[in-house]
Amino acid sequence: MSDLISIKGGRDGLRMRLDDTADWDRLIAQLQEQLTRNRGFFSGARLTLEVGERAMSEEQLAEMLTLMQKHGVEAEALSASARESRSAARAAGLTARPLPRYPEPARESREPPAHEGDALLVARTVRSGQVLRHSGHLTLIGDVNPGGELIAGGSVVVWGRLRGLVHAGALGNAEALVCALELRPTQLRIADQIATTPRGGPHTPEVARIEDGQIVVEPWESFKR
Amino acid sequence: MGRVITITSGKGGVGKTTTTANLGTALAMQGGRVAVVDADIGLRNLDVVMGLENRIVYDLVDVVEGRARLRQALIKDKRLPELCLLPAAQTRDKDAVSPEQMTELTNQLRAEFDYVLVDSPAGIEGGFRNAIAGADQVIIVTTPEVSAVRDADRIVGLVEAAEKGPPSLIVNRLKPRLVSRGEMLSVDDVLDLLAITLIGIVPDDETIVTATNRGEAAVYDPQSQAGRAFVHIARRLNGEEVPFPALQDGQGMLERLFGMFGRRRS
Repeated sequence: MSDLISIKGGRDGLRMRLDDTADWDRLIAQLQEQLTRNRGFFSGARLTLEVGERAMSEEQLAEMLTLMQKHGVEAEALSASARESRSAARAAGLTARPLPRYPEPARESREPPAHEGDALLVARTVRSGQVLRHSGHLTLIGDVNPGGELIAGGSVVVWGRLRGLVHAGALGNAEALVCALELRPTQLRIADQIATTPRGGPHTPEVARIEDGQIVVEPWESFKR
Repeated sequence: MGRVITITSGKGGVGKTTTTANLGTALAMQGGRVAVVDADIGLRNLDVVMGLENRIVYDLVDVVEGRARLRQALIKDKRLPELCLLPAAQTRDKDAVSPEQMTELTNQLRAEFDYVLVDSPAGIEGGFRNAIAGADQVIIVTTPEVSAVRDADRIVGLVEAAEKGPPSLIVNRLKPRLVSRGEMLSVDDVLDLLAITLIGIVPDDETIVTATNRGEAAVYDPQSQAGRAFVHIARRLNGEEVPFPALQDGQGMLERLFGMFGRRRS
């Protein structure tokens, strides 16, 4: 997503990996920019910070946490190989985890971008007040009830009824799709576009995507041609 | 060992307290030893609905804080000797009790009663967390309204997250006439969204209002449709298979036919 910051998701939640060699001020500036630009993705998120070999002081960590908090992001844990960073984390009330040095392939794993990379499959009902958030593609087997939210960096596929809020391409990917057996979200967002669902409409599978800068929805039967 | 069943809803005013009072009474009429617990600390009214307000000496917070023994605080029902109420404190608030204390309290009650019904406050905060802390089973009450069902859905998620097992559902204040005209959510619509087990359908019934104001459970009134529905739910809780009867909507056949035509036209 940027050269110093990458975001990964899995069943155990989101992880934000921060470059451990870059200049601190540059890192903070880039974090601020990412949090602002991808507000739709980050707002309300809880994540684990991975800072690699960087030795962070309590003041630096506090600065970072304040910035994240301002954007509605809560850090739950911090993984670091440097002891100094881990004790700063404990002082800030985060769970501190040791981290082996970034294995070399990890640097590579910043590419390819999340929207082409990992996908998460979840089978359950997403009820009112619940949020499923993932940096890559998100597939749900189950319904999204009104008041529930799906937020993904990539595309969203719902094998069920989608009646809550959905945000695909929430890290800026305008190519992302939203498909559902019954696509009746209270609000549908792709990248920075927002659409609402008109009342009525078919109870058949549909696909939403961005065409000419606007969200369009069409039946699966015509989309596949 | 008895069962601890918490009755909750998310949204206020959907009939949690009435449900608790009527289910408690019905279970006791069927021979069970029943304790009903008002967990709505600071806004108690289970005692009022059961007509026991004037007998309160000690309350739940007195027991938790050691000023009274459980036996001293339990109030016997006017008619049924096997039915007891543990009233909430009126002068304190939800923070007076912790989930651990509630669990200990319900465990004590469980040893002496077959059923412990806990009347939860509305909302999803501390009071709700206290109310479900010691529960073996959770019953969610909703009315067939979009906002109530939305809150019930939120509660289902929280109950599942608290690992209390899948909750059961009571649909309260159903108006069959409005449903048949397509102007009210049907039980199927509600179940379609919540996808949990239905344990009762209670029709909207004026006898509930008069019974509640008299401080007497509607289950005593053989004429009360709602009262009958609560008796059915109590029997289902006892493990009986009770079919869901078709609800009388008080309309003639002709009217119903017109209703159908009316709907088809639209």
